[in-house]
Amino acid sequence: MAVCILVDSTADIPLDRARETGVAVVPLTVHFGDETFRDGVDLDGPAFYRRLTSSPVVPTTSTPPPGLFEQHFRQLVTDGATGILAMHISSSLSATFSVSTKAAEAVTADTGVPIEVLDSRTVSAGFGMPAEILAREARAGASLAQLKAHAESLLARVRLLAVLDTLEYLQRGGRIGRAQAWLGTFLSIKPILEVRDGQLLPVERVRTRSKAQERVGQLVSGLGPLEALCLVQSDDSVGDQLETVAHTFWSGPIERFPLGPVVGTHAGPGAGALVALTQG
Amino acid sequence: MAGHAWLEQHRDAINALNVFPVPDGDTGTNMSLTMRAATKEIADASETSAYVIAERLARGALMGARGNSGVILSQILRGLSQGLDQKTTFAATDFAAALQDAAKLAYRAVIKPVEGTILTVIRESAEAAQQSAGNGSDMAGLLGDVVTAARAAVAKTPDLLPTLKQAGVVDAGGQGLTTIFEGMWRYARGESVQLSHSEQAADHSEIRRGNVEIEEEFGYEVVFLLHGENLDVEQIRDTITAMGGVSTVVAGDARLLKVHTHTLTPGKILDYGVGLGSLQDINIENLQEQSLRYEAESKRERGIAASANGQGATVGAHGGAGAAVATPPAVGMLTREREIDTVAVAAGDGWVKVFESLGVAAIVPGGQTMNPSTQDLLHAVEACPSPKVILLPNNGNVVMSARQVADLTQKEICVVPSDSLPQGVAALLAFNYEADFATNCKEMEAALPRVHTAEITRAVRAVQLDGIDVNEGDVIGLVDGRLVTAGTDLNNVVLDTLRRMQTEQHEIITMYYGADVSPETANEMAQRIKEAFPEQEIEVVEGGQPYYAYIISAE
Repeated sequence: MAVCILVDSTADIPLDRARETGVAVVPLTVHFGDETFRDGVDLDGPAFYRRLTSSPVVPTTSTPPPGLFEQHFRQLVTDGATGILAMHISSSLSATFSVSTKAAEAVTADTGVPIEVLDSRTVSAGFGMPAEILAREARAGASLAQLKAHAESLLARVRLLAVLDTLEYLQRGGRIGRAQAWLGTFLSIKPILEVRDGQLLPVERVRTRSKAQERVGQLVSGLGPLEALCLVQSDDSVGDQLETVAHTFWSGPIERFPLGPVVGTHAGPGAGALVALTQG
Repeated sequence: MAGHAWLEQHRDAINALNVFPVPDGDTGTNMSLTMRAATKEIADASETSAYVIAERLARGALMGARGNSGVILSQILRGLSQGLDQKTTFAATDFAAALQDAAKLAYRAVIKPVEGTILTVIRESAEAAQQSAGNGSDMAGLLGDVVTAARAAVAKTPDLLPTLKQAGVVDAGGQGLTTIFEGMWRYARGESVQLSHSEQAADHSEIRRGNVEIEEEFGYEVVFLLHGENLDVEQIRDTITAMGGVSTVVAGDARLLKVHTHTLTPGKILDYGVGLGSLQDINIENLQEQSLRYEAESKRERGIAASANGQGATVGAHGGAGAAVATPPAVGMLTREREIDTVAVAAGDGWVKVFESLGVAAIVPGGQTMNPSTQDLLHAVEACPSPKVILLPNNGNVVMSARQVADLTQKEICVVPSDSLPQGVAALLAFNYEADFATNCKEMEAALPRVHTAEITRAVRAVQLDGIDVNEGDVIGLVDGRLVTAGTDLNNVVLDTLRRMQTEQHEIITMYYGADVSPETANEMAQRIKEAFPEQEIEVVEGGQPYYAYIISAE
C-alpha cells in the first residue's frame, strides 16, 4: 500500500465516495441534548436538517478525542500505509487540527510511519475537493512529499463562497468571525460569506436567495480561469439552483458535496456554496 | 440682509409651490435657512468692505446650504463674491458683472441644467442687470429692472417645464430668488425690511450643530472658529494633533479657521487657540457620555433580542405563519478594521436603527421635510474615523448638498445618489467588505435601480396631475417619486400603488411603517398585501418616519 489521505468529516465527502476514492474519514460529533451522533455515520444530511428545523434542542458539535484519531492512523498503518497526509478544518474554526497533530506525533513515534498534518485554512469541499484529487494521485504512487507540496498548492488556490439563508445558526455556534458586523440587521438578509485564510469573512448582503446565488456566481466567475468547480449543498434544491448559476460561466463537471451535520449545525438549513479551484 | 428678511416673510408662500402635493421639498425653508447661515456670518461684523462681506456671505451659504435650491443659491452668492473680488465698494456696473458670474456658477452647480427653474431666473436677471447698467442706471434702478426681469422669468417657468404647468405652479426656487431681489430693491429704495423677532429667535433652535449620531466615541469633541493674522493651517493642525487631538480637521485661511478635533483634554486645545487669536462659536461635547448612553441602549435592545430569538421576522411565500413584525435584534457593532465609512441621512427611529444595523458610521437626521445642510453632512463626515466616506443622501433634494461636502473636507468622498430610504438600504447591502473604495462606490450606485420605492402619504393640497385628481387630505401613492394614485381609502391606495409598481414581478416586499401607524395596523396591512401578492415574501419593519404612513420597497 502507498501513502494514504485522511480528512475529518467536515470535508463533506460522502462516505461511499470516500471509500471509492480511498480517503479515510474521521467523524466529528454532533450532539442533540444527550444524544450523540457521528457526523455522516449515524446521521446523514436529510435526517439531520429535519431534526435541526424541528428539534427544540439546539445541536452542538465537538472534536473527537485524540484517541479516535490515533485509532484511525494506526488502522491505516496496519493496512500498510507508508505515509499519511491528514487535512483538517481551519484551526481558526475548530480544535480538530491540533488534536490530530498530537495523535499523529504519538503514532509516528510508535510506528515510524511519517504523518503530515495540514491545517486547510478552509472548510467543507474547500479541502474535500483537494483531498479527493490527492487521493487519486496517492493511488497512482505519489510520495508523501509530493502530495504535501501539491496539497499546499491546491489549498492556496481554493476559493469558497457561500450563501446562507440566515446568520442565526452561525451566531448560535459562535463561529461568526468578522461577519459579526452583520449581526442585528433589522432586515432579513441572505449573507454571502467567504472562507479565506481560515476565517469566515463577510462579503455582501442580498435580500433574496436567488439573487444571492446569482451574485456568488458573478463573484466566482470573476476569479479568473478555473481548474475545477464544485458545489456544496444543504439539499438538492440548493444544489440545482447553484448548478444553474454555475453553468452560466462553467461548462466542466460540477461535483456535489452534501453539507454535512457538523458544518450544517453552523451554516443552518438552505445553505450552499460554490468552491472554485483557480488556475492561479 | 434685506433680501433674506423679505424671503423669510414669504417662506410659506414659496413652500406651497411644490409640484407634488406631498409634505416635503420645502424650497422656501431650504432657501431661508441657507440665507440665515449666510447672513449669520455678517450679522455682527464691523466690516464695511464689500468684497469681504460678499465673501463671508458666500462662505456661510456654502456651509449652510440645504436642499438643491439652497446649494444653487450658495453658488449664486459665491459668484457674486467672485465678481466683487477686491472691491471695497461697488457700483451698478460692478454688481451687474458679478451677477453674470453668479449665473455662470449656478449653472455649473447642476450636472444637467434644466430651464424653467431658478437657473433661468438668475440668467435672465443677470442679463437685465447688464442692460440696465449699460443704460446708466444706479443701484436702485438696476435692482428694479432685475426684479422686473426675475418676475417675468418666474412667470414663464411653467411654459418651460411641463411638470410645473400640470401642477399649476411656478418654480419655487426661482420665486425664492426673485423674493430675495425684491428685498434688496426695497432696501435700495430706502424701505425698511426687517426680520421679525420670532424668526431671529428660531435661528438658534433650528440650526443646531452636534445633532449627529455617532457610534463609539471617546473624550470630547471640540469645535471652534479662530480669528487671527497669518494663521498657518498646517502648523496648527500638526500642533493640535501633537497635543492629543484625534481626527483633527483645520480648514480655512490665514485670517479665519475652523478647527474640529476629538481630545481628552479640551482645555489644552482651547488655551492653544487663545494664544493664536480670538475664538468664536466654541462647541464642546462629551462624546464618552453619548457613547455610554448608546451602549446602555444597545444592551437593552440585546436583551429584547434574546427573548425574541427564534421568532421569524420574515413571512416566506411558503412560510404560512402570517405576517410578523420584525422584533429589533441587537444593534450591529462594526469592527474598526475597515477603512471605509458610510454616512446616511434618515428620519424616524426605525430607519435610524435599520441604517445602524447595516453598519453606517453616522446618521444625519433629516430627509423628506427637513433637508440637512451641507455643514450637517460635513460634520458627520469629519466625525467618521475613516479617511474615506460614502455618503447616502436618501433623498433627491439632499444629493446636491452632499456633493458639496467633497470640496470642504480632506477626506475622500463618494456620494451614492440614493433618492429614497429603500435605495439607501439597497446601496448599503451592496457594500462589499472585501472591495476597495472605488469598487464599492460603483457597486452601490449600480444597486440603486434594483429597488423600487412606493410612498404613501396624504395630499397637502388639491391638484390634478398626470390625469389623477387629488383632493386635499386624500391618501396618495407615489412610485419612485412619481404620483400614481389617490383616494380616500388607505388600504385601496396602498394596494393600487403596489400594483402600479409591478410588485408581482419582484421577489421581496419590505414595508416600513410610519410614526403614526401602530404595529397592529401595519400587520393587518401586511396581511392584505400578502393576499394580493401571494408569491412574494413580505417583511414588516418599523420605520417611524413622519408624514408617510408607509414606505414600501420591492426588489
